[in-house]
Amino acid sequence: MQQDRLSDWLVKHELVHRSLGFDCRGIETLQIKTEDWYSIAVISYVYGYNYLRSQCAYDVAPGGFLASVYHLTRIQYGVDKPEEVCIKVFVPKNNPRISSVFWIWKSADFQERESYDMLGISYDNHPRLKRILMPESWIGWPLRKDYITPNFYEIQDAH
Amino acid sequence: MATTASLFAPTGLSLRGRVIDRRIGKGRRPHSIMAQQEQQQLEQEEEKQQQEQQGTLPEQQRQQQQQPKGQPQMQSLPRQPMAKSKNMSREYGGQWLSSVTRHVRIYAAYIDPITHVFDQTQMDKLTLILDPSNEFVWTNETCQKVYAYFQELVDHYEGAPLSEYTLRLIGSDIEHYIRKLLYDGEIKYNMNARVLNFSMGKPRMKFNSSQIQNVK
Repeated sequence: MQQDRLSDWLVKHELVHRSLGFDCRGIETLQIKTEDWYSIAVISYVYGYNYLRSQCAYDVAPGGFLASVYHLTRIQYGVDKPEEVCIKVFVPKNNPRISSVFWIWKSADFQERESYDMLGISYDNHPRLKRILMPESWIGWPLRKDYITPNFYEIQDAH
Repeated sequence: MATTASLFAPTGLSLRGRVIDRRIGKGRRPHSIMAQQEQQQLEQEEEKQQQEQQGTLPEQQRQQQQQPKGQPQMQSLPRQPMAKSKNMSREYGGQWLSSVTRHVRIYAAYIDPITHVFDQTQMDKLTLILDPSNEFVWTNETCQKVYAYFQELVDHYEGAPLSEYTLRLIGSDIEHYIRKLLYDGEIKYNMNARVLNFSMGKPRMKFNSSQIQNVK
C-alpha cells in the first residue's frame, strides 16, 4: 500500500522508529526518538518530503511528555493524493530539547517559536527562538496542562 | 552606598501617587517616599533626611538574587537566547516598563510630582499613580492604606526580575486589594465621576455578608 511506504523504507534501512498506526484520514504516524530526529528529518527531505505542512506540539499528560508533531508531505505536480506522513517526537518535561528543522524546511520558523512559547520545548539551532504570542517577559508555559494562570486583575468574574 | 530619602508633599497637585525606591534585583537600599495627596494643603515643604543602616548594606549587596519570601512561581526569566534588545538602552526610554489598569498605574520610572515629567533613567524607582479617573472617593487614610500595601508588596517581590510581568502581578494585587476595600465598605464609588460604570461590581446594600448583622 502506498501509505506504508515510508515505514517500510525506514525499516529496510534499519532506522529506529515506532509506527503509531494511521489516523482518521489514513495518514501514517510514526514516533521518532529525539536523538534520531534530525537525521530522519534530513532523510525525509531527501526521500522527497519537501513540504512541512505544519508543526505543532501538545502536552501529553501532566507529569508526562511533550510531543512535537510534524506533518510532512510532498508537493509535486499532477498528483491527486500526495504522500503524507505525520511524525511525533516525544520529549520529557525536565529536558525539553529537540533539534530544529528550520534549516531543512523554512516553514518551521514561526511554528517552532509558537511551540516554544506555549509549551517550552526549546529547539536547538533555531535562529530566532523567542516568544511569539505572549509578551516577552512572560513567565511560564501557558499550554502545559499544569500551568496556572496568575491572578491578574484583567481576568475578572462577571458581575 | 548611602543614599538619602526625602519626604515632602508639594502643594496644589492633582495626582495621587507614590514613588518607591525599588529593591528588586539588588540588595537592600534605602527608599525614598514621596506622597502626593489631593486634599492635603501644606504651607511649607518639609524634608526629612533618612539614613539606612550603613553597616548592613555591603553585606546585603553581596546577595545577587534575593528570593522573595514564599512566592513559588517567581523564577528567573525563561531562557530566550535570541531575544535581543533593539539598541535602545533604558536611559533613552527603550524599555518602558509599566503596568496600567483602570485604578493602578505602576511605572518603573521617577515621575516628578510637580511637572509630571517622566524620568526613566531612574529605573530603581517604582511610581504608583492611584485612580486617576477618580472612580472612588479617596480619603487620606484609605490612600495611605493602599500605599502601605504597595510598599509591602514591593518588599515581598524583592529579588524578582524587573519586567512587565512582575509589575502586572503587583498591579493586579493592588487592584484586588482595592476591591477588598470596596467590599469592606472603606471606600465607595464616586457618584460624580465622569464615567460611572461600577467596574468593581454594582453597588449593593452590603458587599460582604460580614457587614450584615445577625447573619447565620
